Amino acid sequence: MSPHASSTRRFGFAAGHRYWVEAWTPAENGRVFGRLTVPHGHNYTLDVTVRGPIDPQTGMVIDLAELKRIVAETVVERFDHADLNADPLFRGRVPTTENVAVAVWELLAPKLGADRLARVRVWEDPTLYVDVRGEPPGGEPSGEMARK
Amino acid sequence: MMLELTRVYHFSAGHRLANPALGPEANAALYGDCHRPHGHNYYLEVTVAGRPDPVTGMSVDLGRLDDAVRARVLAQVDHHTLEGVPALAGVITTGEGLARAFWRLLAPAVPGTLRRVTVVETAKNRFQYEGGEG
Repeated sequence: MSPHASSTRRFGFAAGHRYWVEAWTPAENGRVFGRLTVPHGHNYTLDVTVRGPIDPQTGMVIDLAELKRIVAETVVERFDHADLNADPLFRGRVPTTENVAVAVWELLAPKLGADRLARVRVWEDPTLYVDVRGEPPGGEPSGEMARK
Repeated sequence: MMLELTRVYHFSAGHRLANPALGPEANAALYGDCHRPHGHNYYLEVTVAGRPDPVTGMSVDLGRLDDAVRARVLAQVDHHTLEGVPALAGVITTGEGLARAFWRLLAPAVPGTLRRVTVVETAKNRFQYEGGEG
């Protein structure tokens, strides 16, 4: 069996968002989310980690050019200079850092395989990031996208 | 799917490594340069686990997390000498020792479930504590 390793590549996208629950009154939104109800934006940083065997021919876990192409087509082109609240992925789902990370996971897992996608890390700014992983080995997959 | 949120904080503090059970010469031999009083620009990363609330999309109230970390840790240590901080009494202020001490201060105070405390002492040294006493 080939030894396993993980590879991480970093991406970035600048996107706008606001925290807003449509079902709530403006007063309720203001009380819960405060300044976050005002449309604003971030320079997001995205670290995508792929885990798997090191291919004995290429010496790679994944061709980083392939990873770059997949993430660019699937995530960066979709979110860069976009209004996240207008994306169907965030219909009924507030684009918090948590939900952005979950959305990136849901976009990438079918492309890379949930068994290869080890971790999605979304940095909203240098002081805040959210990690999404599949279930640990032996754990019951619970998220829809954690299933292959 | 597992989700963890990490918030990065900063503080500056002075310290020196010394084991109170040892004499000055033994401490100097054990800790070398680190036995001399000096200081660092520390980064403290606090990681909590939780599922996003289906309505708000938030796994943790960041304001409450920030308040807890500021009150329990940052207010005690920022621009202080760590050896003089009451909450760190008896702690040898290595990165490992600080990570464990901060864990004990934060675990009962943070919203959500504390998963990991990371102390970044310098750009080259990073220490993590995930709980458990073994």
